[in-house]
Amino acid sequence: MSQEIAVVGTAEFTTGFRLAGVREFRNVPEEEKDAELDAAVSDVLSMDDVGIVVMHADDLDYLSRQVRETVETSVEPTVVTIGGGGGGSSGMREQIKRAIGIDLMDQDEGANE
Amino acid sequence: MAEDVKPTRKNLMEIEDRIDLSERGHDTLEQKRDGLIMEFMDILDQAQDVREDVEQNYEDAQQTINMARAMEGDVAVRGAAAALKEHPEITVRSNNIMGVVVPQIEASRVSKSLDQRGYGVIGTSSRIDEAAEAYEDLLETIVLAAEVETAMKKLLDEIESTKRRVNALEFTVLPDLYESQDYIEQKLEEQEREEIFRMKKVKDKKEEEERAKAESESESEAAADAGTAD
Repeated sequence: MSQEIAVVGTAEFTTGFRLAGVREFRNVPEEEKDAELDAAVSDVLSMDDVGIVVMHADDLDYLSRQVRETVETSVEPTVVTIGGGGGGSSGMREQIKRAIGIDLMDQDEGANE
Repeated sequence: MAEDVKPTRKNLMEIEDRIDLSERGHDTLEQKRDGLIMEFMDILDQAQDVREDVEQNYEDAQQTINMARAMEGDVAVRGAAAALKEHPEITVRSNNIMGVVVPQIEASRVSKSLDQRGYGVIGTSSRIDEAAEAYEDLLETIVLAAEVETAMKKLLDEIESTKRRVNALEFTVLPDLYESQDYIEQKLEEQEREEIFRMKKVKDKKEEEERAKAESESESEAAADAGTAD
């Protein structure tokens, strides 16, 4: 079954992706993120025909704890966060620490410095 | 826990069988956990490269779209974005890594030629084309990142559950079984010692009875002999 890519964020963030052909998008103005981002993210996560959700890493801070946890652990659809200078999807680092017992991200960041 | 078990030979044999099975299971799960961690390490290296590409492509895409906005205006860029005809699609297949089903995502219709995009060539400038191209490149790397990061999440889940099972066997199941085994062995040894002691007592008692019987018989014989002599 073919699926689509969805983008959630400000109009400024989503326009570029729409230019690349993405048609599933939710525009949430900067000043309304606190109130509306949760609903927009939950909405795209519940869509069966969406396989990948793209968000800006900084927008995760606007999400409620429950939705953020869903975003961090969701596999279908997968949420890919970009920007914000983060080293990949958040929550992954904690999960690595829990599963492997070592902070591998920290080691690699240290090695890169 | 150990004292709940009845100290019988049958239970001891059953516990020994369970210890054997648990030890084998523990070794197998440890091997599985180590194998998964090695697979995860390979994917982690790949993920870090993909993540760097995503961040780099995002930066480039932002620069090109900002340039397009500056030159053409925000309305023109949004207008072009709204006119797109072709939409990227992804197809998810599954791949198996040590029993963990990880996705293999294939994207189609991400990179498009100028005429496939759908917005008019005359009304838009090359800045918008460049921005569209940059975002198409970004989408391709995002698809790759989604594939790799999903595989990482699934492997981490499996590593965590395998680790929990290994720890449960190592720190709960096996110690309980060893404790039960020791308890039954001690109880059986105690019963054996008691049995030997009891048997010795019975034997001593029997010997004493026989001795007393022999003595009384010899006494009565002696008395009879004295009677006949008189």
